[in-house]
Amino acid sequence: MKRIFVDYKKCLACKACETACALEHHPGGNLFGALGDLKTQINVRVLGIEQEAFPLSCRHCEPADCLNACPSGAISRDPESGAVLLDPALCKACAMCAMVCPFDAISFKVTHRSCYNRDVAYKCDLCNDRVKEGGVPACVGACHSGALVFAEYDAARGTRAAKSLRTYLLGAEGVPPHVELFRELRKKEFARRRGGE
Amino acid sequence: MSDEACKREDRRSVDPAAVEMLRIADREGYATIWERYEKQQPQCSYGQLGTCCRICSMGPCRIDPFGEGPSHGVCGATADTIVARNLARMAAVGSSSHSDHGRKVAQLLKAVADGSNTDYRITDGEKLLAVAARLDIATDGRSLPEIAADVAAVAINCFGNQDEEPLVFLEKYMPKKRFERLKGLEESLYQATGAKIGFLPRGIDREAVDILHRTHFGCDHDPLSLVAQSVRCSLSDGWGGSMIATELQDILLGTPTIKAVKANLGVLEEESVNVVVHGHEPILSAKIVEMAQSPECRQAAEAVGARRVNVVGLCCTGNEVLLRQGVGMAGNESHSELAIMTGAVDAMVVDVQCIYPALADLSSCFHTRFITTSEQAKIPGALHIQFDEHHADAISSRIIKTAIDAFPNRNKGRVYIPQHTATAVVGFTVEEILKALGGTPQPLVDLIVNGTIKGIAGIVGCNNVKVQQDYFHRVLTTELIKRDILVIGTGCWAVAAAKAGLMDLPAQELAGPGLQAVCKKLDIPPVLHMGSCVDCSRMLNLAGAIADHLGVDISDLPLVGSAPEWTTEKAVAIGAYFVGSGIPVHLWPLPPILGGPAVTRILTQDAKDVLGGWFFVEEDPVATAAQMEAIIMERRAALGI
Repeated sequence: MKRIFVDYKKCLACKACETACALEHHPGGNLFGALGDLKTQINVRVLGIEQEAFPLSCRHCEPADCLNACPSGAISRDPESGAVLLDPALCKACAMCAMVCPFDAISFKVTHRSCYNRDVAYKCDLCNDRVKEGGVPACVGACHSGALVFAEYDAARGTRAAKSLRTYLLGAEGVPPHVELFRELRKKEFARRRGGE
Repeated sequence: MSDEACKREDRRSVDPAAVEMLRIADREGYATIWERYEKQQPQCSYGQLGTCCRICSMGPCRIDPFGEGPSHGVCGATADTIVARNLARMAAVGSSSHSDHGRKVAQLLKAVADGSNTDYRITDGEKLLAVAARLDIATDGRSLPEIAADVAAVAINCFGNQDEEPLVFLEKYMPKKRFERLKGLEESLYQATGAKIGFLPRGIDREAVDILHRTHFGCDHDPLSLVAQSVRCSLSDGWGGSMIATELQDILLGTPTIKAVKANLGVLEEESVNVVVHGHEPILSAKIVEMAQSPECRQAAEAVGARRVNVVGLCCTGNEVLLRQGVGMAGNESHSELAIMTGAVDAMVVDVQCIYPALADLSSCFHTRFITTSEQAKIPGALHIQFDEHHADAISSRIIKTAIDAFPNRNKGRVYIPQHTATAVVGFTVEEILKALGGTPQPLVDLIVNGTIKGIAGIVGCNNVKVQQDYFHRVLTTELIKRDILVIGTGCWAVAAAKAGLMDLPAQELAGPGLQAVCKKLDIPPVLHMGSCVDCSRMLNLAGAIADHLGVDISDLPLVGSAPEWTTEKAVAIGAYFVGSGIPVHLWPLPPILGGPAVTRILTQDAKDVLGGWFFVEEDPVATAAQMEAIIMERRAALGI
């Protein structure tokens, strides 16, 4: 099963993933339709944790605590893609799923998919339709810097390991020096502001 | 509360008055720059690296700094092109802001000279004669208005000059050796490359427009060429627009003299009508200070039960009126919201630059009238009272009347003025410094040569929410004077130093033995307030006076600059004209250049050989002081002293 892998050191907090997700899940499918529309659903959030940024979304766990906790049978797994999916028609917004989610990846509000204009749970659906047609999730497609990768676990691990080893064993170029300096200075800046000297 | 305690108490500011006000802000839920900054996290790194291009509508384009994603914009622009273009635009905006300030002063001098404006007058005739002499304008047997008209004409012509000759103000004010070096540089680059690269600015407006043109879609893509033009445009600010602003303001409003003032929020008076003047241009605020002292205003204030109209300053407008009229200084940029939160500000009057739009909303939580006055700085939610130099007296009176009318609405139960002020001895213009030295820079030169003073550090303004307010300013300044380095400076740095007591005579004790002895002998503090950020030109003039006196280039002198806590595009222009004038400049926070390795190399390394000034970045204030000292020592060694 393919998953979204996050290389958080490459996340530049540009939030292109958030915008792409919003458009993908908006009925209009364009920026101007989604702007100011409170029902627009954004399933990935770039969170700032000190100087680091992390695009957080559903990890599609197996087994999934949310799926097990849902009393109304609204959460299921697509056996083909492995995506954990949420049916807004069955959701009662009881928040059991959100409470058990280890990543706090489930939110509630009135979305374009909710019935009778009531709050429903919403979360990443792995862009299931796109993925099943052989594509990648919208957020991954929008990421310029390689922070989001959609791959089989082994393939992702293999690529990353080979790249790191090239750096360690052959001294091949890793992170460009200016970017390294940038990261280092930002780390210092945040540390001082938070009280570290 | 001691500085150390404040530092631990609140990570947002080391200023004790700010710490007290932030406690109130937290309790009452007032939004502040610090709170909005947290809400902005995480901020986009493309912007911080300078590699986001929004110049054309094929974009926005972003370059992947890790080298795996896109390496070029749609048009083919590289990371270095994008970084250099963005930087050039920052320099153009910064330079334009200072220079446009200068333009208004020049126009006012013209109007005063031809008699069409009678609200202002030539206050400092001696300065007028000095400026005229500098510009080679005849003075013998001519009246002051005649001379002033000629000075104004030369200044105004600097803005719109269309020929290829260097700016007259720059040519007359820049030390000879520096001027020759830049001229020689242009020639040698032309011979070596066959391409024209200019460093000497031609017209003030022209150099900014040049950047707007060359950064348009599909023009200049060469990082070196773009950086050179950024320096040229910035030089048109330092030796042009800012120089004109400073010199002509001195003529019209008086050259500042040494005086003692009070700084920090404690200058607000519970029993008086408090008017805070904030922004950068003193033409209006000087009038407000003048009018506040008039019998009519005093009577009107007394009629509503107030003791008097107390005009205090903030930011650089504050610095201007502080230096000339000795008013109290409420604080620097990050104090602007805190001042309103005291509930004791009846009107905050703003002109241009560095005014948070958030002040309008915040003022609406209080009785405070937030008054905008400039055509170029209108803020939704503010009361706009249009300023016009030709009716300055009437408009200033109206503004003060508005403040007096607001006073009875003040909710006394909400008033809290933190009782913190420090005494600051200010007003160290080049004229005053030379006067203290006996009319010539020679005594200062002697002190530097014999090592009593190792060198001079010029520090300039801003607060930046990314740095604990005033922390870098205070620690860096203290560290420098400890090392026998005289510290001069302007802008929000100067206010920070004043609030910290570093401009008071007891601060002499913090200085190293050499500097301490000199300061005690001359009865001056070891940290000298030279004015507002536009007055960085005074620092150039001091450097120029020493350089010309010795017949050397500025880049030979043991001088170094810093803009810790910098925020604005004006700081980019100031930094670039210091570097272009041969002075190395420290910056913190990080400027948006690291996404372009070639631009970074040009600014931090190549510039050293080419211009004699360069940029460096350091996050730690003590390490910064050590680096600045090392630069000074290196230059001393090169001079053989």
